[in-house]
This record gives sequence, C-alpha cells and structure tokens, in this order.
Amino acid sequence: MQRRHLLTTGAALGLGASLPARAQGGWVPTRPIEIVAHNGPGSGPDVFARAVAAALEAEHLAPVRLQIANRVGGGGATAMNYIIDKRGDPHVLGVWTSLWMSLPLVQAEARALTTDMTAITRIAIEPALIVTRAESPHRTMEDFINAAKARPGGLRQSGGSPTARDNLVRQLLMAKTGARWSFISFPGGGERISAVLGGHVDIMIAEPSEAGEQVRAGRMRVLAQVTSARLPGFPDTPTLTEAGFAITDVVQARGLVAPPAIPAEAVAFYQNMFQRMAESATWKKYLDDNQFQGAWLSAADTATFFIEYQATLRGILQEAGVRVVR
Amino acid sequence: MEVLNGLGQGFSVALQPMNLLWCLVGCFLGTIVGILPGLGPAATIALLLPLTYGMDPTGGIIMLCGIYFGAKYGGSTTSILLNIPGEASSVVTCLDGYQMARNGRAGAALGISAIASFIAGTFGIVALTVMAPPIATFALRFSSPEYFALMVLGLSLVVVLGGSSLIKALLALLVGLWLTSIGTDLFTSQSRFTFGSSFLISGIDFMIVAIGVFAIAGVMESIQAGEENTPLPVPSSLRELLPSMEELKACRFAFANGSIVGFLVGVLPGAGSSIASFIAYGIEKSVSKHPEKFGTGVPEGVAAPEGANNADSGGALVPLLTLGIPGGGTTAILLSALVLWGVKPGPLMMIESPQVFWGLVASLYIGNIVLLVLNLPLVPVFAQILRIPLYVLFPIIFGLSLVGAYSVSDNIMNLALLAGFGLVGYVMAKFNFPTAPLILGFVLGDAMERAVRQSLTMSQGDPTILVERPISAVMLGFAALILMAPPLMAALRRRRLAVPH
Repeated sequence: MQRRHLLTTGAALGLGASLPARAQGGWVPTRPIEIVAHNGPGSGPDVFARAVAAALEAEHLAPVRLQIANRVGGGGATAMNYIIDKRGDPHVLGVWTSLWMSLPLVQAEARALTTDMTAITRIAIEPALIVTRAESPHRTMEDFINAAKARPGGLRQSGGSPTARDNLVRQLLMAKTGARWSFISFPGGGERISAVLGGHVDIMIAEPSEAGEQVRAGRMRVLAQVTSARLPGFPDTPTLTEAGFAITDVVQARGLVAPPAIPAEAVAFYQNMFQRMAESATWKKYLDDNQFQGAWLSAADTATFFIEYQATLRGILQEAGVRVVR
Repeated sequence: MEVLNGLGQGFSVALQPMNLLWCLVGCFLGTIVGILPGLGPAATIALLLPLTYGMDPTGGIIMLCGIYFGAKYGGSTTSILLNIPGEASSVVTCLDGYQMARNGRAGAALGISAIASFIAGTFGIVALTVMAPPIATFALRFSSPEYFALMVLGLSLVVVLGGSSLIKALLALLVGLWLTSIGTDLFTSQSRFTFGSSFLISGIDFMIVAIGVFAIAGVMESIQAGEENTPLPVPSSLRELLPSMEELKACRFAFANGSIVGFLVGVLPGAGSSIASFIAYGIEKSVSKHPEKFGTGVPEGVAAPEGANNADSGGALVPLLTLGIPGGGTTAILLSALVLWGVKPGPLMMIESPQVFWGLVASLYIGNIVLLVLNLPLVPVFAQILRIPLYVLFPIIFGLSLVGAYSVSDNIMNLALLAGFGLVGYVMAKFNFPTAPLILGFVLGDAMERAVRQSLTMSQGDPTILVERPISAVMLGFAALILMAPPLMAALRRRRLAVPH
C-alpha cells in the first residue's frame, strides 16, 4: 500500500507540472524519438525498451514514432556516452538500469555519469528472492546465517558481478549479521541456477521469473524475499525484514533518462507521457507477466533516486573491497 | 512407451499444415541468417519475437527453433566458400572447408557439411527425446572444477592443432589467451588491457578475431602470392560437385564423433558450440591415420566440427526444456519467448504443456529433414560462386567481412580491430605461426579462467579441488596423455631407429 500511496502523490505532482504545459501548447516531439538500449537485441535492456515502445504505441501516448537503437559496447558505456554527447537533444531517451549507476563508479573508462543526465522517470522495480535447493539443510534465512557463522567462508552464493545487486545484498547481510560466506561469479543466469540445483553453492539471489518454476516444481525453496512487501506469488515467505534481517533496500530499478540540458517543457512532456503509460493496462500486464513491480517516480524524484542510489552503492562497494574510481 | 506416445502426439501437432509452414519459414530464415556473417540466430530471434506474439505458442516456438537449427546449417557456407565464418560455431569449419574449396572440392565440402549436420543434428534430437531427464541431472554434477578440466582438455588439443613447431603453436595459444582477457574482469569489475578506452570494456568479439585472422589475412596472402588471376578449379559435372563415396567413407568416424561430442558439450550450460566443434576437430585429428593432412582440405575435418555444432543444438535444448535453464544466448531468448506465450518453461513443462514440448521435439525431426532438402540442392548453386574470378571475389570477401564485423555490435571501431587482426593473421602466416591455436586460446581462455577462479573461491584457495573430483580427474588425465603423447612418440621412434645399430 505504501507504494500505491507514493504513486498517487507522484501522480499529483506530475499532473500539476505537465498538463498545463501541454494545454498551453508546450513542447511536443516533432521527429521520431530514439530510445537507446545499452545491449543487443534480446538482452534485458533491449526487451525492456521494446516493451516501453510497444506500450506507448498500444496506448497511443506518443505523437511520433519510437525507434529502438542498440548502442552496444563498453559494458553500457557506449550508450551512456551517447546520451551525454546528445546534450540538449530532446528526441533521444535512454533506458537506464542499476548498471548505469555502478559502471562509472568502478570503471575509470566509463566517464558518463547518470547523475549528469536529465532524469525522466523510474517505471519498474525487479524484486528478488533468496533461494536454495530443495535438498538443502537450510530451511530459513536464519538457518543459513547460523550455518555461515559456524563455518566462516565455507558456505557459497552464486551470482553475477560484484557490483550487481546479489553481491550488494550479501555485503549488507554480512555486515548486519557478522556471518561470512563466499560469492562466486558466473556470467549467465543459467549457470547460477545450475550451481544451486547441483548443490555446488548454497544460495543465490534470483529474480522471481528465474526461480519461480523451480520453486513450483519443488526443486528450490525460498528463504526470504528481497522486497519491501511480500510478492503476491509468494504469500508465505517472509521478507528479509520480517525474517529479522532489516537491511538497506538496494532496489534493482529501470526507467528512462534524457540527455543533459534539454528544455524543461520536454521533461514535463515526457513525465506526463510515461506517467500515463505507467498507469495503463498494457504496462500493468507487462509488469505482471514479468513479475516486476510498478514504481513510477516523477522526474524530480528520479533525479533524487539517482543521487541516493549512487551514494549507497559507493558505500557498499568500498566496504566490499571493490576499487571505486570516482 | 511414454516417449513413443508423446512423440506420436508431437508429430500430430507438428504435421498440422500451419505448423509445418512455420517450420519451413523458420528453417529458411535460419539458413539465410547463418549464411550472413555477423547476424546471429540470437539477434534474429529477438527481432522476430514481436511478430510471433499473436501466434499459437507451438507454431511460434517451432518457427524460432527452425531459425536456431537453420543458422547452424547455413553457418558453414561462407566458411567453406569464402573463409568467412558465418557463425561463431562455424569457425573451425574454415580450417579444412576453405582448403577443400581451393582444391576444387567446394561442392563436396558443402555436401559433407549438410550431411554431417543432418546426421549429428538428428542424433542430438534422438538423444534429447529418449534421455533428456537423466542427462540433465548428470549435467548438474558439472561444476567449476569439471569445467576447468574440460577447458584444459580443450587447450591440450593445441598439440594436435599446431603445425610443425610446438613452440610456435604454444606462443599463438598464449596470445589467444591474452586477447580473451581484454575487457572487464567478471570477478572484480575492473577492466584489463583496455588502455583507457571505453570501447574495449566489454572485450573483443570472437567473430572479429576469427574473420580477421581467417578471411582478411587469407585474402592478403593470396594476393601477395599473385593468385588473383588464377581461377579456382570448379568441376562442371553435377556428380563431381557432390561428395564422392570415398570422401563420405572417410567421414564415417567423424559423423559419430561430432554427434556425441557435440551433444555432450551442448548439454553443459557453461560451454558453447564453438568449444564443441573445436574438441570434435581435435579428436578427429588425433585419431586420424593421416593427421598431417588436416588443414589442407580433408573431408573429415569438415564433418567433425559441423556435426558437433549441430548436435550441440539438441544438447542445449536438454537443460532448457527439462529444467528451464538456458545454456547460452539463443536458448535464453527461446526461454523468454516461451514465457511471453504463457508457457512456463521449467521442470514441470513436460507435464503441464506436453503439446508444446512434444510438438517442438517432433518439429525438430521434421526441421532437420527440411534443412537437408533445402540445403543439398543449393550445393551446386553455391559452388558456382567460386567461378567468379578471384580479382572480383576478393573485394567481395573484404566487403562481407567488413559488414560482418560491423554488425557484431554496430560499432565502427570493430573495423579497426578487424584490420588489426587481419594484419596479425598475415604476419603469423608469413612467419609460419599456425592461427588455429590462437583461436583455440581465445575461445577457451575466458571460460577456463572463470572456472579456475570459481573453483578456488569455492575451496577457499585449496587447489586440490581441481583434481580430487572424479569427472575432472579423468578429464585432466586425458589432457596429460594428449600433452605427453608427442614427446613419448618421438622417444619411441628414436629407440626404434637405434635398435638396428
């Protein structure tokens, strides 16, 4: 309910800012809008960008055509640099993910900062589950933490890069409980799940869409949910806070940004457009299908979110011993 | 019995006219995608996915799998004719396929590639049909130490792949290992060897290295040798355009080898089809009676890797369809396609959506036949391409290489890299360095480094984890045998020579 409340407050703000602007004949796009995705066709950001474009078109919210541009390379840096270079151009948007905040922190070569771009909106949060295989002796989060305390470094978690959410949550949990366990990086989600199912690692932090079917088939068990409130699909599993491990919420979020220094009227236009999209049935169905959570934020709130998230991230990464370059 | 019932039900689904049509469309599109270098099946499926939203899930997945299988078939065409690998999995095919074409056996090479693809592809599907659940469970026993051993086994094939000088082969291998380490290190998120350029953060794409070292370097060498005015021999009679009985007989072992190796490697989520084709080629060469002829255009050097990369597709579908685990880029997109259609891929899919599962499996059998029928008649047509005078063909190869390298990630810097690797390949050839070990190191290095670091994190730094597990111990033992073989053989030969005195 908390989220719903936030959404209505944001909506009121957004409407106040954008509707009059439009009514007074404010800025409208005059040529096709380019939506930049930082990875190739079929990748997460690309699929997301195409879903956004499809929803805008299905709901007739965009007065012009939308084109997806895959600006691949530099682990996301190519797309981010492109946005920065398009300074003042209101016909370019980029799909941002949490990676856009972490990349410039750890890689000196990635010079473009998300906080230098014009924030437009945040439109989805990806929840996560802490899972173990069905044969595992750990039945609750507490079991796992106690076992990890008994054998420091002996238990294992499979995950992605050290800057990804799975490691951030681990670092926070270790700092909170004093337990220690190792983090094993795998490049693909399939390999991470295989490592858990094969019993080679003890836990992983998975997206509901990745682990849901394994749980339903009785091959995996959910220890806790990395969410602020229980997901509808998992009503009987406690959140981390409910399980007694309240840590900072490191949300994995997605939304849109524009190049720096675009006109305020254009920001207002996009804010209004995406707010109406976020409330549409098409978008809600997309979120449900992918087990994402709606989390619309206004342009101003998204900008604040960027700054706060980056600060949290810097703190966790430094504590984790990852070299932070800026 | 259950399998037969399921399959029967599957064929009744797959043989419905609409599904048959989708299968045809998918196979046709896949073949074209395979032929075009740079454009891969993963990107194609992603781009076509929105068009299939309105389709019935069975028809949709049948079409997408047709693209997946078709691309593997088509990938060898440009490898053989132009020395440009059409897909990452067809790189190894260049080694002997292009040489066969230069010897006037282009048609035979294309034919053998299609036949090997059909046999191994069918083997992969049969194995998928009859033993998917147990083999998926077996694959789960593979963890990082086993992957490490598999990669070491693969790397030990350098002994077989290198030419006359083992030192030169090892040097080339090391360069390959270094090149693959460029980019972001997964374990620390730090960048390595990027020289401050953001372009290199995500590393160098395998296709750029392969096209540069094979196609660009090959053309430069030929031009320097003044070959552009000598036409390639292309037989005019249809009979000579197809593989001869002797050539097919030479490939008997390669068909089996490619089928089994490709399927087994395909089942493992952490190993791709280029690894499968390299290992099959290495095994083929090490058991051959005339290993010295490999690389000069032997048919089994085409059959083994082409078979392996097609059996790999069947293998890769095992964890996808039985456990819902994607092994690579293409299967990950197939997975998201299933989700979009409301099918729940996972351990329960076989039980809850049997019509999709069995319909798909049955359509793979049909697809394989369709692909063979589609590809064999094209062989004489494609072989005619080599009638084009070389002074026209060489610029075409250059152009296609540029397009292929650019389209890997739509970045103009790729072309600079392509030119660089072309030069590297040319210089290597001039100094008699074999290029296959460089490619081998590039393909396996990344996966090996990951596996060894994962293993050591698991064991908290204790290296015995690499040898104490039975599967990895056996594979490491084989690797040691392969590495020891040449010096041992040499010693034996010396003793035999010494006896008469």
